[in-house]
Amino acid sequence: MTFLHWIGETIREQLLHVPMWVARWLFIGLLLVLMGWVVQLPVAAVTPPGRRSQWYEDLRIWAWLALMFQIVIYSVF
Amino acid sequence: MSIHLGPVDYLVIVSYLCATMVIGLWVGSYVRSGSDFFLAGRSLPWWAIGMSLVATDIGGTDLVGVGGDTYRYGLVMGNFEWIGCVPAMLVAGFVFIPHLWRCQVTTIPEYLERRFSSSLRTVVAACWLLLMACNLGVMLLASAKFMHTLAQWDMSVSIVVTALLVGIYTWSGGLRAVVFTDVLQGVVMIAGCLMVLILGIYEMGGFEPFVDKVHDAVHARRQREKEARPLEELAEIGDIERSRERRSDRKSNHFSLVQPVDSPSPGPWPAILFGLALVVSPGYWIGNQSIVQRSLGAKSEYEAKASYVYGALLKTLIPFMVAIPGLIALVKFPELGHGEADRALPMLVGYLLGEGWRGLFVAAFLAALMSSVDSYLNSATTIYVNDFYRKFYRPHADEGLLLAIGRWTTIGFVLWAVYFAFQLMVIPAGLYTIFQTMMSFIVGPTLGVILLGMLSSRNNAEGALIGFIGGVLTSIGLFLLNQDFVADWLNIEPLFRIGQAYLYYSIWAFISTILLAWLFSYFGKPDAPEKRRYSISEWKPFEEAAP
Repeated sequence: MTFLHWIGETIREQLLHVPMWVARWLFIGLLLVLMGWVVQLPVAAVTPPGRRSQWYEDLRIWAWLALMFQIVIYSVF
Repeated sequence: MSIHLGPVDYLVIVSYLCATMVIGLWVGSYVRSGSDFFLAGRSLPWWAIGMSLVATDIGGTDLVGVGGDTYRYGLVMGNFEWIGCVPAMLVAGFVFIPHLWRCQVTTIPEYLERRFSSSLRTVVAACWLLLMACNLGVMLLASAKFMHTLAQWDMSVSIVVTALLVGIYTWSGGLRAVVFTDVLQGVVMIAGCLMVLILGIYEMGGFEPFVDKVHDAVHARRQREKEARPLEELAEIGDIERSRERRSDRKSNHFSLVQPVDSPSPGPWPAILFGLALVVSPGYWIGNQSIVQRSLGAKSEYEAKASYVYGALLKTLIPFMVAIPGLIALVKFPELGHGEADRALPMLVGYLLGEGWRGLFVAAFLAALMSSVDSYLNSATTIYVNDFYRKFYRPHADEGLLLAIGRWTTIGFVLWAVYFAFQLMVIPAGLYTIFQTMMSFIVGPTLGVILLGMLSSRNNAEGALIGFIGGVLTSIGLFLLNQDFVADWLNIEPLFRIGQAYLYYSIWAFISTILLAWLFSYFGKPDAPEKRRYSISEWKPFEEAAP
């Protein structure tokens, strides 16, 4: 066994100890963190500049929706 | 089994091809300059870019291949479109793409020169150009093979006709033609796949009966495989597999997106989360010229952001259309072995669809193929003209000359792609695998240098160049150490336990790039302020930066 094999095997052994429900929550957690980040984006960064924008032009809504779909999918499947 | 196509099917296919050519040539008639050809005169709307992003990402082989892989491994393949796209697209759309758009660059390597150095630009451009040029041939051949399986079309004719059709409208209209034909191709692709999905679920008697039937089919397949295995092989089955087989209920994990570490599928959860979601996917959506180029041609910074958000929403639907049919095929044709799984979708299409509708599915396949080939063709041309011809040969070339060179280069790449596809037919299968794995060699290092360049002003040009080269060498080294012939020669075991370890090459290549770049930057001198101002934290618009 080479040094590289040893590194890979050590990481693999550690990952095998992670319960599957924790792994699933890591996926969902990543999506939840992104949702939080999207919500706090400044209005100027998510709407058209130089004019008053409509509600549906706020990109946070659609990004949030895309992430919501992902959370539902990773919760169900 | 192949799909039998009747006259009405051919009428549908020819109509689709004619519509594509009309749109491509009509849009091309408005192209007057190099800027029009490479960035569509920065006039593209968000909805066209968003659909084009999705259409480009799904190649013809993906359409059939994902169905086959879902037949083999289950819904885990959906990860490549869900967590393997949506998070990265949103982060790219809000942070990285707007910054590239503000910098007014035409290519990713051009950004790397402005932020770091000319050497890094040339090295990165050469790597991507090589990848794209090879990929053109790989895509043409792989799709011709599928067309041969699908409809018994002659492979040589498929290669030449596809290259010719795509070449004509890309030659004429450049990026604008690519994006607007992608819109049509995206609609045809979604319609064709949606039709198979709806008819398939209806045939199963609804979604819940369908789920039960999939579990039953997987259970029956396991029983067959178990009976066929010799006793000593059974003893080698891993703990997870054994416990799964012992479970009293008949539920399989064919619907599970999160798969164990030792899963035989291409998507064990660490590879999906750390390799796909955190490295390969961001590298693809931020660093792949054939993807990013269309958003650099957006009308405004807001439209560039909106296109990525819209693309992310569309991506949510894609696995239902390309992966679920693989599960429907599993219920209808459970007898196919692992090696024959790629036949699952053509068999399902032949079974479910009548004349005319089968033509629509083949048109959807062609749409998926053409939307990817045209993007790679246009982006390879853009990199060659901007990062080599213009940089080294004619720095002051006018817009008319750039347009002419762009069109000639497009013809050159079409000829090359056809030639290379024919060469690939006769080379050993191992080399073919290398070309398919090449993306994983450079996507991690590219992401590494882009992130370091944009997010930190402390990293310097030498560090970035050494980091990129070190990252590429790392992934190539890992690839070689995982090949059986190298392992036998060195008398060691192959490095990774899963068959398709490319996600792991990318993780380690990315980590190597970051560490090397950071190390050499830490001990080296910082870049000049005119370089550092291209990082996000020190960004100044051009007028403010002017003395």
